[in-house]
Amino acid sequence: MTEIDHSSAEDPVLVKAAQAGDMTAFEELVVRHRDKIYARAYSMMRNEEEAVDLSQEAWVKGWQRLVQFHGESSFGTWMTRIVINLCLDQLRKHKRQRTESIEEMNEDSGGVERQMPVVTVNPTAGLERSELRQRIDRALGQLSHEHRTVLILHEFEELEYKEIAKVMGCSIGTVMSRLFYARRKMAALMTDVRRENWK
Amino acid sequence: MMEYQDQLKLQSYLDGELPEAGAREIAARIEGDQEASALLNELAQTHKALAGFEDGIKLPESREFYWSKIQREIRRQEIPAPTRAPQVPFLNRLRRFLIPATGVAVISLLALIATKETGSGGGDASVETALQDSGAFTYHDDTAGATLVWLSYPADNEIAEDDDLNSLD
Repeated sequence: MTEIDHSSAEDPVLVKAAQAGDMTAFEELVVRHRDKIYARAYSMMRNEEEAVDLSQEAWVKGWQRLVQFHGESSFGTWMTRIVINLCLDQLRKHKRQRTESIEEMNEDSGGVERQMPVVTVNPTAGLERSELRQRIDRALGQLSHEHRTVLILHEFEELEYKEIAKVMGCSIGTVMSRLFYARRKMAALMTDVRRENWK
Repeated sequence: MMEYQDQLKLQSYLDGELPEAGAREIAARIEGDQEASALLNELAQTHKALAGFEDGIKLPESREFYWSKIQREIRRQEIPAPTRAPQVPFLNRLRRFLIPATGVAVISLLALIATKETGSGGGDASVETALQDSGAFTYHDDTAGATLVWLSYPADNEIAEDDDLNSLD
């Protein structure tokens, strides 16, 4: 095996080395992408501890399945898909353990999002980046996991409707409906937070 | 108020999911419809607000600690799971039963022959088996003054050892 400078090597070189059993190369990949993988798990799970555990599990699976990676997408994207699938499995387990939320019943019975007044002011205008982050974070936390997941897959993962439907095992119509609800709810929640701050 | 299907179409327009003809239709509608325009603006604002949100989320553990846990788990999962104790094949189980049974039959036959030879059909002959070793039988005939000990071979534990060896092949 040719010696490589792990810190300066590009991802495809590190992937190839890791596929040949070079664990130091894999460690370098973990170092480079750990925040992104953790962030995706955290966005979906809304729980720090669970996000750390699932992101680690994703890395272990990544190592075990590395031979199946042929570079169709970037390594980071490939790893992100692994962590998303793990999070979805975990959320399904959670769902089996809890009863259906009122929010979900609203969506199933036709959706309250149609009646929501349109937010005409930009709720994020003039905010510091950190303040904006906190506001989005809080609003995301108030969505049901189904709505949050659709929003994340669309806005962060930039998946098309049909791809989201495939990942989540639902129809394209459901994806559109959930995404619409999630966006409208986010707009309303962020505006509400701002109003609270003004009081 | 806009129909729900129109609202969803508006969203699809924003996301570039509409075919060209549908997109043109919505674009024309937005021009003259304030409600549609306001809703499109709201949806677009949410989209913009979320851009780059995850960039600010950082792993709350040190690089070394995080990696050490991953590495340990990878190594742990690489250790092959212990294999189950091999099943004893049917034929060997049958042998274990047949050998003592054959022993009993042989001793019974010997006892019969001895009885006939000595001409005594009395009750002085007896067959004993030791509880501790089901493969050992003792034939004792007071009249003939003979004691015969019959041991089954191979012993049960030897069969078990043979089974283990076979299972490794």
